[in-house]
Amino acid sequence: MTTTAPTRERTEEHDDVAEPDVPWVVIVWNDPVNLMSYVVFVLQKLFGYDREKATRLMLDVHHKGRAVVSSGPREKAEFDVYRLHGHGLWATMQKDR
Amino acid sequence: MAGSFKRVGNGRVRVRLAHDEVAVLRGLPDQLRSVLGEGGDEPVNQRLFPPAYLDVADIEHDTEYHRLMRDDLVKEKLTNLDLVTDTLARGSTSVRRWTIELTDEEATAWLGVLNDLRLALGVRLDITEDFDGDVDDADPRAPALRLLSYLGWLEEQLLDALRT
Repeated sequence: MTTTAPTRERTEEHDDVAEPDVPWVVIVWNDPVNLMSYVVFVLQKLFGYDREKATRLMLDVHHKGRAVVSSGPREKAEFDVYRLHGHGLWATMQKDR
Repeated sequence: MAGSFKRVGNGRVRVRLAHDEVAVLRGLPDQLRSVLGEGGDEPVNQRLFPPAYLDVADIEHDTEYHRLMRDDLVKEKLTNLDLVTDTLARGSTSVRRWTIELTDEEATAWLGVLNDLRLALGVRLDITEDFDGDVDDADPRAPALRLLSYLGWLEEQLLDALRT
């Protein structure tokens, strides 16, 4: 499938009030070079998912272009993104609205 | 050519490669090192260090993320490259094969480096659709595409070995 490159875009409804309770989601995007078996391996290693769950997430990334792989407070999401970047996966994070 | 990587005792992974394969691999880490050293917004670096936050409302978070994390990410990649370079310089050579046993840490470094090399090649070759490994000889990019295909084949075998 064609790559859906993540692009920076403005989402609706931003307010300036701090929102400590809004969870963040970590998204892995499809990319044409990472091996499917490698993506499964990394998701298992970083998040402790079993083979089945990691494979399901990988297939979502592959077929739908993206998948939410973890969620939580901003600091936790950022740490997850950092580890995914360390393993070469195309990961971003955003507020779960 | 079968069986480049195999899980052996003590959590080690044995690598067996033909001499021409080792020669190719020995030339690659320095290329990635020099790209990492360039820093900035060179396209390969954009792929290796992508934005964490896409939403424009979070752009300050993204700047902060890269300010705090990028050096650590680079350092991890350089450490992996050093481990791979060291192991490629060791190993035992017979008439037909080059062989080495990797510790878990070294095998993990090999996996990271193989993947980083493929990502960098993918950017250089402007690969935007899933690459199935088939290479058209008439394509001027054929040598680099063949290298990408070869590194993917190695990486699949290493993943198989790490899973057993």
